[in-house]
Amino acid sequence: MEYVSPEGLRLDGRRPMEMRQIRAEIGTIMKADGSAVFEMGNTKVVAAVYGPREVQNRGQQISDKALVRCEYSMANFSTGDRMRKPKGDRRSTEISLVIRQTMEESILTHLMPRSQIDIYVQVLQADGGTRSACINAATLALADAGIPMRDLVTSCSAGYLNSTPLLDLNYVEDSAGGPDVTLGILPKLDKVTLLQMDSKLPIDIFENVMQLATEGCKAVANYIRELLLENTKELEYRRGV
Amino acid sequence: MVGLSVGEKHFIQGGVAQDLRCDGRKRLTYRPIYLETGVIPQANGSARVRMGATEVIASVKAELGRPTPLQPDKGKVSIYVDCSPTAEPAFEGRGGDELSTELSTALQCCLLGGKSGAGAGIDLSSLIVVEGKICWDLYIDGLVVSSDGNLLDALGAAIKAALSNTGIPKVNVAASASGDEQPEVDVSDEEFLQFDTSGIPVIVTLTKIGRHYVVDATSEEESQMSSAVSISVNRKGHICGLTKRGGAGLDPSIILDMVSVAKHVSEQLLEKLDSEIAAAEADEGES
Repeated sequence: MEYVSPEGLRLDGRRPMEMRQIRAEIGTIMKADGSAVFEMGNTKVVAAVYGPREVQNRGQQISDKALVRCEYSMANFSTGDRMRKPKGDRRSTEISLVIRQTMEESILTHLMPRSQIDIYVQVLQADGGTRSACINAATLALADAGIPMRDLVTSCSAGYLNSTPLLDLNYVEDSAGGPDVTLGILPKLDKVTLLQMDSKLPIDIFENVMQLATEGCKAVANYIRELLLENTKELEYRRGV
Repeated sequence: MVGLSVGEKHFIQGGVAQDLRCDGRKRLTYRPIYLETGVIPQANGSARVRMGATEVIASVKAELGRPTPLQPDKGKVSIYVDCSPTAEPAFEGRGGDELSTELSTALQCCLLGGKSGAGAGIDLSSLIVVEGKICWDLYIDGLVVSSDGNLLDALGAAIKAALSNTGIPKVNVAASASGDEQPEVDVSDEEFLQFDTSGIPVIVTLTKIGRHYVVDATSEEESQMSSAVSISVNRKGHICGLTKRGGAGLDPSIILDMVSVAKHVSEQLLEKLDSEIAAAEADEGES
């Protein structure tokens, strides 16, 4: 199947280096301490953060840093075909783990000993790149909750199909079986915190694809930073400062 | 979970007794309802409803299936509700299952009518394509994204809006099929049939706090309830379903009183919902 047309356009009309439209909103769930919605094209996820608060299960308490937990769940209607999977299947457990490890690395956990931070991400619509969208949503939610972090973590995916590196794969491109590189970076510190790839890729091409994903992450980071600044200004305005 | 001090509890109970609740509402006033349709493009119909800090999403998916042998002339509808942990950390893992099941069952009995499908808000015979062979199966999924009490009413409203937003693809059946063969069908992706949603009831939950009852209770108020009765009423003012939650006993005369109050409240709610749905549909058409 042809994923990039001779004119250099992808199935959804994007150029290879083009991202889908991103949109985010902060503070959508009033009851949570922090929350955000993040959309990348048709992929849409909600993240909510509760904490830092008292550890619920005493046995899990860590005396010198905060306990970070994460749960990823998909809505029944999020995929094209309706599915009814039991909660906690292998895929969602794996993604929960990935998100937890990525976020834990950027949170300054040593500042909040004996406490617990819960991150819940809920996929409303899945169209490829849910992992990245979840991490971006979680970052925003953590920032909204006012949890101290080293840096924002942002994530983006890239792939390689029809000998072209492609940025931000959608579901069709994702299920084409080509390599799918999911990258998470700390944009200010310029460090990689998450790197996953399936399938195989020559090293020199991998470098290109990873470079592309890095650019994507940085673009997301710019958007997120702007959004947070705007949000902060609004909060400031509301306080009448 | 809601943790309230003795003073707060008294304040809520006192407010309800004096017809002035914590957020300034009267006993029988709803919070403002925000409604949006077509929020899930992959579904046949969907809606999001927000009442205060409560937010739910409902989606309708239609799939072709086989009618049951007992009712060859009727389609099937099923309702499932999921409680996302984003709404409440207690819903983590399997924690939300109990509430999900409770809500699904309550919605089923309020919206779907009896076992035979008679009295259902949705006309099941309109879902039939070929009698005894092909029908539409409607899967209604509710998702609680944020919870601040009165989930059942919000879900009921969201499902009603999602159903009015639903387009069922038109199906052309090849005439050649005979006998036991499954006829071939051609599902159109351009023409859609709209549902008749005028018969779908709304759900009004009356929560009893102290000696009085209130509509649209917040989670703080729900923590003080002795029992709650959910009554679904359709446009004609008929009672379509009734469920009672909470352990405390109710005097039968109070229940009858509640039913008549619910009937009165439902008229305003229906009107409000109808105008909101119409506005949401118009909004969606524009964008």
